Amino acid sequence: MFGYIKIDKNSLSEQEYEQYRALYCSLCRQLGKDYSVFARMILSFDCTFYALLIMSLSAECPEFAEGRCRFNPTKKCSYCISDRKALSQAAALSVSSAYFKLIDNINDSKWYKRLFYRILKPVFSRWRNKAKEKYPFIDSCVEKMMIAQQKVESDACCDIDRAAHPTATMLSEICEGIPESFHLKQSFDKQKQKRILNTFGYFLGRWIYLMDAADDFEKDLKSGSFNPFVVAGYSKEDLEEHILPILNHSLSEILLSYSLLDECRYDAIISNTLYSACVKIQKNILSKYTDQPVGEKNEESI
Amino acid sequence: MKNPYEVLGVSETATDDEIKTAYRNLAKKYHPDNYNDSPLADVAEEKMKEINEAYDTICDMRKNGGSSSYSSGSYGAQGSYRKTSYPDVRTYIQNGRLNDAEAILNGVSADSRDAEWYFLMGMIFSRRGWSEQAYSYFVRAYQMEPNNVEFKSAYENMNRRRTYQNPGYNTTDYGGCSACDVCAGIMLADCLCNCGRMCC
Repeated sequence: MFGYIKIDKNSLSEQEYEQYRALYCSLCRQLGKDYSVFARMILSFDCTFYALLIMSLSAECPEFAEGRCRFNPTKKCSYCISDRKALSQAAALSVSSAYFKLIDNINDSKWYKRLFYRILKPVFSRWRNKAKEKYPFIDSCVEKMMIAQQKVESDACCDIDRAAHPTATMLSEICEGIPESFHLKQSFDKQKQKRILNTFGYFLGRWIYLMDAADDFEKDLKSGSFNPFVVAGYSKEDLEEHILPILNHSLSEILLSYSLLDECRYDAIISNTLYSACVKIQKNILSKYTDQPVGEKNEESI
Repeated sequence: MKNPYEVLGVSETATDDEIKTAYRNLAKKYHPDNYNDSPLADVAEEKMKEINEAYDTICDMRKNGGSSSYSSGSYGAQGSYRKTSYPDVRTYIQNGRLNDAEAILNGVSADSRDAEWYFLMGMIFSRRGWSEQAYSYFVRAYQMEPNNVEFKSAYENMNRRRTYQNPGYNTTDYGGCSACDVCAGIMLADCLCNCGRMCC
């Protein structure tokens, strides 16, 4: 996962922002609790969004209490004190995807970086085994994605839909699994919940993958690494013209499927992410390839 | 049946105008045209039906038990198919049997593939989420028969989403895209023409 699913702080109310921050801090703490204090380093916005989605849809109302951040004791934070299964599952997703990302890096990097990643590997692998034991379903979704991705990338004439398919499938499976492990507050049956979340996840995954490919376009063009937009023969000049419609389309599918769900607890934050933040991030990343000055940044630290 | 007021998201004391506005907003959001090529087309259709029924029920109740005027499921694009050369393919697509539909289409020899063939192929890929291929099929169908309403609307619908002007977006205003409003206006007019539900 790549950290593109963020919030747009400027258009959130203070209370909504506090809620988001509380979730972010809770996931950070959960990583520390379930794995190790160093595992807090792999905290990502994407996995926070996953926890947010579950806690937003689930029937049980989460409770929070005030505490202090261990890394920054002057900072006050809120932490979730009720059932933390959603957080624990999101932490497992963070760990499993970080592990496979590391493996990917070992295969792709220059020797000195590779050496560094190799040193990290035993630690990540220990965390991953722990996550796999607790949430085998999550780990297998990520693992299947990695295998499928390698296969796809070895195909010299791979088109955009095919290239995005593994990541999209991974998230569709993971999101589809939510109604199995959690009791959701939705007015319709489980089968339908699963279908909606499946489509939602599919396009979310597709969007993330394509966003990442757009972000890395120049780097991959230089290094010769696999990139679906390079394979498609796009050049830096016409990149935005080609990519923007594709990203827009995925985003619109995400929104269409999301709006079929009943209104949920953190609807304001999720809508903010999907309607506002994602659009801004698209713009920011693609502005790298045009001469226009970059618009406002969305690099808020939390 | 669910409480119709809950379905429309209004209180039982809401005025007729408030109910009408709520109904219009929802109808705009879940209009079948928005979901036509989506994997969730059937889910959206059910939702739309529920909203229509809720609105009709409220209208009837408020007219003090006046005669029920709605014909359920009359809303939207369904049932508007003209002559088709591929009835089985259409049925399969509607039932989500995309592989079967694709197998039939692939059996059609290359020189007898007409615009409808490309349109249906686009539909299959679109429902799978493979939107880039879907788009190229839709473009082809539209180019071959630009006057066909069905092909044209598939093509335009996809273009709308690719340019981020989907009316479904604009239920909450997060600013940023004024083209949405124009588009939403057109869609709304379209909705009202289609259904003619002005009873409240």
